[in-house]
Amino acid sequence: MQILNGYCQTITQVNRWLAIAASSLVFIMVAVISYEVVARYFFDAPTIWALELSTLLLGPYFLLAGPYFLHTAGHVNVDILYSKLSPRIAAIADTGIYAVIVLISCILIYQSIPIAQNSIDSGETSFSSWNPVIWPVKTLIPVAFSLLLLQSIAELLTAIQRIGGREEARA
Amino acid sequence: MSSTLVFSAMFFSLLLLLLSGMPLAFVLISLAVLFTILLWGLDALVLTVLQTYDVMTSDVLLAIPLYVLMASILQRSGIIEALYKAMELWFRRLPGGLAVGTIAICTVMAAMTGIVGAAVAAMGILALPSMLRRGYDEKMALGVICAGGTLGILIPPSIITIVYAATAQISVGKMFAAGIVPGMVLSGLYVSYVVIRTMLKPSLAPAPDNIEVGWLEMFGSLKSLFLPTLIVFSVLGSIYAGIATPTEAAAVGVVGAMLSAMLQGQFTTANLSDAAMDTLRVTTMIMWITIGAKIFVSIFTGTGGADSLLMFIENLELNRWLVLLSMMGILVLLGLFLDEIGIILLCVPVFMPIIAAFGFDPVWFGVLFLITAQMAYITPPFGYTLFYIKGVLPPGIGMETVYRAILPFLVLQILALILFMLFPDLVTWLPNQLSQRLVS
Repeated sequence: MQILNGYCQTITQVNRWLAIAASSLVFIMVAVISYEVVARYFFDAPTIWALELSTLLLGPYFLLAGPYFLHTAGHVNVDILYSKLSPRIAAIADTGIYAVIVLISCILIYQSIPIAQNSIDSGETSFSSWNPVIWPVKTLIPVAFSLLLLQSIAELLTAIQRIGGREEARA
Repeated sequence: MSSTLVFSAMFFSLLLLLLSGMPLAFVLISLAVLFTILLWGLDALVLTVLQTYDVMTSDVLLAIPLYVLMASILQRSGIIEALYKAMELWFRRLPGGLAVGTIAICTVMAAMTGIVGAAVAAMGILALPSMLRRGYDEKMALGVICAGGTLGILIPPSIITIVYAATAQISVGKMFAAGIVPGMVLSGLYVSYVVIRTMLKPSLAPAPDNIEVGWLEMFGSLKSLFLPTLIVFSVLGSIYAGIATPTEAAAVGVVGAMLSAMLQGQFTTANLSDAAMDTLRVTTMIMWITIGAKIFVSIFTGTGGADSLLMFIENLELNRWLVLLSMMGILVLLGLFLDEIGIILLCVPVFMPIIAAFGFDPVWFGVLFLITAQMAYITPPFGYTLFYIKGVLPPGIGMETVYRAILPFLVLQILALILFMLFPDLVTWLPNQLSQRLVS
């Protein structure tokens, strides 16, 4: 039991750090795009990389934060019925919900690895005028879904514990 | 499987799974995975990864975190408090002055930020206690805050508008322009309602305040308007002067918001990291829903569902207005229990071919949709603003009072909806004037 709780806390902590790190990416987007506007409008020197670079940052920004917000219930849901459930029934519902998320995470990891592998092997680039490598962004998909898998396992474990009435087990 | 069967199966499993309390994003992804396997087999699942990548690299959706960040920084900058003080000084002589002023501030906030929660939460904390203390009718006070708060959906910049434009594949700048006149009309309707009601029934608001305030103080308070005006004009101005795309204008707006926070002495690390975390939460939620919805819808269109739905409707040989009304009806109905972003992502790709076939303007339809979204935001029992206002209600006022408070404003929104249906020019004139100047 201790090991399980330790696992839940560790993975939540890791995902929290990743979310905090991801949250700072938006400032880079702001800086890069503002630079582009100033360079183009005031100095008549548009860049070929600014918009594409900030677009490439968008994926890491929200994908890496997804698992942490699963923990904080930051994803919007419909709670017409759910909010009326007793804690025990709600825990059973949660168990089902997280089990499904575990399953789809596995499927998406399995599907995205070959695509990422291909992209790395061929050194895939975007074919724009800047033409950066894009395999880091494609590799991020299996990475993000692996983190989602680990977090949903953690949530699944705490939900199962709550069925047994161990309310305090929620990290 | 026939596409009608697929359509009903997808729709009902969506409803069923949603009721379990599972987050919308994962409901959509799970069902998309399930239906892909059922319809096309395991090999087709590669589609889910391709759609995810598509969402990750969308330069239109890139505008979302930027506009949310701008709003989150402004919310913490102290500007809203300063604006509220100025409004109290200027509107105190008008019948129902504070209520009118609250709508005015909501309108300004709507033009500065694109998030509904920001205005409702701020006005719930600032305007509600102040109005109640002075003896305003509680229903009047609650109604203007709820209804005024939703103006942000229509008045640019607006997050929901960006999602609509991205999904309908029309210009964000054009869609922003389309919201300006209808937003002003709605704001004007709310103001006239408050003024007329208080003139007919003076007990709803206290007698105008006769305390003498020096002109110096009156005009001094106006400097709080300077920064918001500057931000609004630099964001919208740079879009319509053809200097920047809506995404670029958002980045300019963030810099403007930071400067304003600095001038107000609120540019602290704590404020900035709070704003960054808020932005991340809102953006993550929207983008994960977008991934799920895009896969979900691509299955529906991939099985020919959208085409057969269009053919079905065309064969009914209905009047085009009846078709429009049924689409609006579906949107209002879904708005009762589904998130607005989710509704756009699910319905708009299905509706767009129908709108095109019947010769409706997608920009105009978008504005009609945004008004139904405003209605959904204040309609009990699941409207978003109701949850925000619940958190700031003083003891002694129940949610039933709030429900009754929003009724007249709901009627005003329906009136506005009918007005824009009958006179599409009110919506389309401005975007058509401005569209030649946009940077694409």
